[in-house]
Amino acid sequence: MSLYGILAVFGEPEALVEAAGGMRDRGYRHMDAFSPFPIKELDQILEIRGSRLPWIVLAGGIASAALAYALILYSVEIDYPINVGGRPLHSWPPFLVIAFEAGILGAAFAAFFGMLAANGLPCYHHPVFNAEGFGYARGGKFHLLVETADPKYRKGVTKGQLRRLGAESVEEIEA
Amino acid sequence: MADVSATSPPVLRGRHDFPEISGRIGSIVLSGRLPRHFWTAFFVCFLLVLVFLYSITYLIAVGVGAYGIDIPVAWGTMISNFVWWIGIGHAGTLISAVLLLLRQPWRASINRFAEAMTLFAVAMAGLFPILHLGRPWFFYWLLPLPNVHMHWPQWRSPLVWDFAAIATYATVSLLFWYLGLLPDLAVLRDRAQSRPVQLFYGILALGWRGSAFHWARYQTAYFLLAALATPLVVSVHSIVSLDFTFAITPGYHSTIFPPYFVAGALLSGFAMVLTIAIPLRWAFSVEDLITVRHMDNAAKLMIAAGMVVAYGYVSEAFFAWYSGKPYERTMMIERALGPYAQLFWVMLGLNCGVLQLLWFRSIRRTMPLLFAIALAINVGMWIERYIIVVTGPSRDYLPPAWGEQSLTGLDFGILFGSIGTFFALVFLFIRILPAITIFEIEELAEEKGKIR
Repeated sequence: MSLYGILAVFGEPEALVEAAGGMRDRGYRHMDAFSPFPIKELDQILEIRGSRLPWIVLAGGIASAALAYALILYSVEIDYPINVGGRPLHSWPPFLVIAFEAGILGAAFAAFFGMLAANGLPCYHHPVFNAEGFGYARGGKFHLLVETADPKYRKGVTKGQLRRLGAESVEEIEA
Repeated sequence: MADVSATSPPVLRGRHDFPEISGRIGSIVLSGRLPRHFWTAFFVCFLLVLVFLYSITYLIAVGVGAYGIDIPVAWGTMISNFVWWIGIGHAGTLISAVLLLLRQPWRASINRFAEAMTLFAVAMAGLFPILHLGRPWFFYWLLPLPNVHMHWPQWRSPLVWDFAAIATYATVSLLFWYLGLLPDLAVLRDRAQSRPVQLFYGILALGWRGSAFHWARYQTAYFLLAALATPLVVSVHSIVSLDFTFAITPGYHSTIFPPYFVAGALLSGFAMVLTIAIPLRWAFSVEDLITVRHMDNAAKLMIAAGMVVAYGYVSEAFFAWYSGKPYERTMMIERALGPYAQLFWVMLGLNCGVLQLLWFRSIRRTMPLLFAIALAINVGMWIERYIIVVTGPSRDYLPPAWGEQSLTGLDFGILFGSIGTFFALVFLFIRILPAITIFEIEELAEEKGKIR
């Protein structure tokens, strides 16, 4: 079995942030952190870039609204033009209502499924689940992962560095 | 409650640590040892579910005339139930989405069950227009589906907009709720003891592992959904009110309806939040997570929404007079003095009178009193919807055609049946899913320095 990386366990969110910063200063770049709730300070340390999700959501909303409006337009102008009380066939104010609702629906789908796709979820098998001490929610622990893919990675050295940065325990995890 | 300060009770009481928070909330679900009165209450609700099923079967077999509607009053309790339920749902979205955008920390412990409340209320609401159709099995004609008739929905009709709005609202509420549940499902997966339970929550959790990269995108998506839900919730109840205002019936045809309906929705919705939260926090001893502060703030929002509703009542009456039209004036006078007068005054007494008690801090912070007021407002708001639906058509343009809707046993069978079904769903939700958002409480505890 090949190694996937080294997982260090911390008892406090501050300790995790400090250790992640320390490992970054030592030149590590292929890291990930696991916490039971979002920790804002990690974004900068782990170089988490701003997501493109807002643009996907905007595109989903506009596409969905346009599609709904086009369907209505097709039905009233081409497929089944019928005079209702002398109103114009293309009576846009009422059509906008449905286009608005469709736009919200499309944007919501884009946000939900876009987030899942960007995060690679659902993902039922991931190396971190192989770790003894994972189950991040059980004891309110905070985890830092250094991947073997990191150019700075040296098994013994990395472990020692993590211990000196205050890890409660350090574990090798298999891929 | 002795340690609650007079000015502003805290959002979280006491000091906590992370295993304690996730353990306490998770164990309500995982240990499965719920108090005996929980199951007693569930049993009562289950009986009402049976009443509901019987009533619906009877209604479909006999037809809509079975529940007291007749020309001229062709809209009855099915429509008022619909508006009432959809309104109850709106407070859940307001708490979860609007308060998230406004960064109000007090939403964290009540947003989950408020969202669940939304979902179940919308599920109930969605049934009523379909039951009202007379031939409910043709409801899919409202959808633009290719079918053998080659027809299209009438896009200019508010009923079709309504269908689009409710369907969108139900879907977006479900997505928002599930997205919020995702990290908590992972907590339950990791805390579960038995294999089937691990599998159940594990599959639902989609392999969530709390990676910092995931959290960043997760929060973006969550905020975006909140930002989408906020205009949606306003549009949904506005569109519901357009069902009325597009008709020229006296008492329906009014421009005050959209804002008035949205305010009414918030009033009844917050009343329902309190109706559920007060017994919940007592029964599961989570008074330090759902604190008096939450109850107090919800009561304040009720007062705010209630004053807008009161303005709506005044505005309706004023414009009926100011329009100078005898039909509008007659309808208004008949509403106050005619066959529905008793209900009308009870409604005013509850929604405008009893509500004013909430101005007093001591009443807002006395849970049994607040619970009683919330129940009174729920009743008052149902009566309001009923009054709006039936008084207009019962006194329209031709006096010889005047007539009343009579409430029958079936009306109440379906109303109380739906209430029972709603609470049965809430009970099942409390049993199966964490009713308080674990990760947000932990984040809050961390931010407020309430960690041991």
